[in-house]
Amino acid sequence: MRGIFPFAAGAAIMLVAGWAGFPRAIYKSRPQPVDFSHKVHADKAGQKCEDCHAFRPDGTFAGIPTLDKCAGCHAAVMGATVAEKNFVEQYVTPAREPQWAVYARQPENVFFSHIAHVKRAQLTCDTCHGDHGASDHLLPYQEDRVSGYSRNIWQTADRVKTTRAAMTMSACVECHRQQGLEHSCLDCHK
Amino acid sequence: MIGPNKQIRAARYGMTIDVDRCTGCGACMVACAVENNVPPAHAGATDRNGITWIRVYKIDNGLPYPETRSAFIPVMCQHCGNETPCVHVCPQQAVDVDPATGVVGEMPQRCLGCRYCMAACPYHARYFNWWDPAWPKGMEKTLNPDVTPRMRGVVEKCNFCHGRWHAAKQQAAAEGKPDTEPVQYLPACAEACPIKAIQFGDLNDPAGAPARAAQSGGSFRLLEKLHTDPKIYYRSKRDWVRASANAPHPFAGQHEAGKENHRG
Amino acid sequence: MTSTRRDLFKLAGGAAVGALFTPAPWRLVTDTALWSETWPGVPRPARGEIRAKYTNCSLCPAGCAVRARCVGEQPVALMGVLEHPFTHGALCPFGLAGHHLPYHPARIAQGPVKQAAAAIASALARCAANERIAVLDLRPGRTASWTYRRALAQWKNGTYLTPPRTLGGNLAVNLAAAKTVLSFGTPLLDGWGTPGNVIAAREGFRLIQAETVESRTAVMADQWLPIRPGSEPALARAIANVLGNQPLHDAALETGLTEAQIVAAARELADNGPALVLDARERPEILALNQLVGSLGHTIVMRREAPVPAEWKNAVAATELSAVPDGSVRVLLIDESAPGPYLPWSAVEKKLVAENPVVVAFAWSGEGYGRHAQFVLPTAVYPEMVDDIPAAVDSPAAMFRLSAALVPPPADVVNPAEFVAALAQISATNTLRERADAIHKSGRGTLFTYADAKSTALKDVKADGFWKALNEGGCWMDAVPERQEIPKLAFGPPAATLTADNLPLAVVMAEAPAGLGSPILSKMYQESNLRLAEDRVVLHPTVARECGVEDGGRAILEAGCGRLDVLVCEDPGSPQGVVQVAAGPRTLDLCGSSPRAKVVRA
Repeated sequence: MRGIFPFAAGAAIMLVAGWAGFPRAIYKSRPQPVDFSHKVHADKAGQKCEDCHAFRPDGTFAGIPTLDKCAGCHAAVMGATVAEKNFVEQYVTPAREPQWAVYARQPENVFFSHIAHVKRAQLTCDTCHGDHGASDHLLPYQEDRVSGYSRNIWQTADRVKTTRAAMTMSACVECHRQQGLEHSCLDCHK
Repeated sequence: MIGPNKQIRAARYGMTIDVDRCTGCGACMVACAVENNVPPAHAGATDRNGITWIRVYKIDNGLPYPETRSAFIPVMCQHCGNETPCVHVCPQQAVDVDPATGVVGEMPQRCLGCRYCMAACPYHARYFNWWDPAWPKGMEKTLNPDVTPRMRGVVEKCNFCHGRWHAAKQQAAAEGKPDTEPVQYLPACAEACPIKAIQFGDLNDPAGAPARAAQSGGSFRLLEKLHTDPKIYYRSKRDWVRASANAPHPFAGQHEAGKENHRG
Repeated sequence: MTSTRRDLFKLAGGAAVGALFTPAPWRLVTDTALWSETWPGVPRPARGEIRAKYTNCSLCPAGCAVRARCVGEQPVALMGVLEHPFTHGALCPFGLAGHHLPYHPARIAQGPVKQAAAAIASALARCAANERIAVLDLRPGRTASWTYRRALAQWKNGTYLTPPRTLGGNLAVNLAAAKTVLSFGTPLLDGWGTPGNVIAAREGFRLIQAETVESRTAVMADQWLPIRPGSEPALARAIANVLGNQPLHDAALETGLTEAQIVAAARELADNGPALVLDARERPEILALNQLVGSLGHTIVMRREAPVPAEWKNAVAATELSAVPDGSVRVLLIDESAPGPYLPWSAVEKKLVAENPVVVAFAWSGEGYGRHAQFVLPTAVYPEMVDDIPAAVDSPAAMFRLSAALVPPPADVVNPAEFVAALAQISATNTLRERADAIHKSGRGTLFTYADAKSTALKDVKADGFWKALNEGGCWMDAVPERQEIPKLAFGPPAATLTADNLPLAVVMAEAPAGLGSPILSKMYQESNLRLAEDRVVLHPTVARECGVEDGGRAILEAGCGRLDVLVCEDPGSPQGVVQVAAGPRTLDLCGSSPRAKVVRA
């Protein structure tokens, strides 16, 4: 009996480390450059996601707006929040683009067409991005230490079970397979 | 697999290349490399180990000077539709034939670099990255964002400019067109050819220019005896050009079969 | 209880087994695979909005219209403008990769500007009465050319030098009118004139190519006359004799053709007109055939120059290099920023004074005259430069189009025209606009704009709009006058050919000159042998054996005035007694003046 103890101890240590410690240790967390509130902007600046996150005429998706779009309103401090004051002082006035960490950033060889999913497949933004658009603060960006990609698109506690949290190839393939739209690798890879 | 609940009209993209019009200028080779982020040659690269997704060979009728007559014949992946040789041999499933377009696609990121497909390809249309891709300082700014650069140790080849195909599909989505119809686009070589010797389109569309040209007289395909059903059709009025399509290699000149012709 | 070494191994074994039942190892495998896809060392293309910008290619005198696909402001691909009424959307391989040139490893971005200016000033101060300051302009007819001519007029011994040319100045070729074209080695389908225009006109004429080797043009010609190297003038004489019902003498022997072939070619020129005779080297005795077959006024026409401001008329006239006395140029400024024909250095060098001449090359790389000049001053390169491109040789109408800057040039580049203007103390800062205004004032011709593919009569455009359209991609084309003047060809004496009997091989320039191009052109020169690189020669296998060299081996090409390391390519389709080389600055320096050479083992 005593002979099995070191083996069991080793296995137990690794099981605890692998299940409890590793999933935390693999990510490093960093804050976004600006404490941006989608909620405030949805109330005051635009009604729909497309008002800021627009499609270009050729169908490509412009993604996060650039500074000149922000500076259209925030040329000077408008409100009373510290976040806005910092944003204007650190980015607008010196005309420096904030280096946003993109939760949905994809590997270089992935071709993802927003317009095919939004306009053709009629998916709503929250199918993938959750309640990102109604949030008051940006979540810290959790970056995988090895691969460099975000842990998830928009992880909130109640969302883990219901929708796709991370944008992995298996998640894409699963849906495409259900839709009968899985033809070849080059459908989504470039 | 095309799923049962989605009816799409499959395309069969292909080309007709008029050999009698090709001047051998090389515009297609340059446009292809620019479009697909193929790096400039490593100092040690030769015509045996360089990367040219489309390569224009000079062939001749085998007669001595001054009876010798030459022709230029651009050769790229022939997108075999029947028993595609490279698909069969790939141990990584990195190569597939898209049933919706007929394009033989390859995923360099899946490739483990065994080069079995290069040995299997009867058209010598696959190329291996013997060196890290390197661009002169600053030139990486001119890379095409629609195509990923590949790394050392993988095989790559023509895929009918799928970056342009993606862009055309995206444009079609923006215009509200359904995705059940094949999109129209032009690969870089067909667009760049100054004399329009390369025509590209859906071979399933009987009214399309490539389909009509493929049916016309003087049309031939490379190594038809292998029954690989290539989607690149060539045309020439000259008998010796058509006969050369059955040579095992475009640069196996008629002078000394099997010996490499350095001008080719 | 004591722990033994064995327990430690058990612990490790247990840990290993335990780890397999956690997500950690599997996750690490996936993550490593993801990381390896963007392996450091593989660059990531920048992403951004795709835009189109328009310009005109200034790499050669054709000036093809270009649509640049840009990510943000950076061009990532170039293509032609399909609707252009003259260039028809065609781009050659060199133009297709022109946007790489600013990043070429041979690019020079800095140079001894102050030292060059000081050296020129001191040389001018001690310039003797019979000595000159000269500007060699490889592409005459530009607005910059007018600046040189105005500047040189400020000095009593200023000389404006141009490469010798018969066609391309006020004489143009009208290919669209030709029914039969006899070309003596002209690379008609491989970069001559404007590729798009040549292709558009190609259906309309029969092409007879008289050339020693089967060039790209010979491959595509309706008939190829494989003549002996250097026998072009003899063939021209023979054809003239047929046309004048004179006996052929021994032309067949001299040219290597049969008498029947010569007679047939001559008959075709005479009977299937309008005909046109072109020569790669524009030898007067060959171009004289045009007079015999009645080309003048039909396929060779007069062309007006694009209007210039009246106040520019105080300018020196162009002088051909050969007309300048030997040993008389003290200061030579060579403008290579707009590439044109390369004159062999030996021809240039003998015009310089014997002691301390000052030679300054304005170039974006040191690969051309920079190899011989004391000072190489960096210029902008296409697509950084702003320059105008005069009409090419095959345009019957004058043109004015700008090569607009798609990317900003490095900070220290020199504008050659402004540099020379500053030396002469004249003002030349806004010359392109002044020229555009002068053209606008004339009210002639049409403006074609690229973005909307529209032609507008110039008189319906405002001056500012004209200038804006030219900068954003546009081309002004002169109206062709209704009454054609019959041009006259000025024939000089036949060029003397040097013979060097100890050199067994005739040199044939099998590849048209292309200049330094993008590194991606390795696809044509190195990764395939579609085009002949400047460091390669082609020999018939028998000739190679006689020379003691082999296919793929290194060799030395020796001519009267030097030697060059080359790589040998054997081609059984190549004629015997001939070495094929590519025309480039190095080979032209070596073989440009003496057409014979030998190849020896390295």
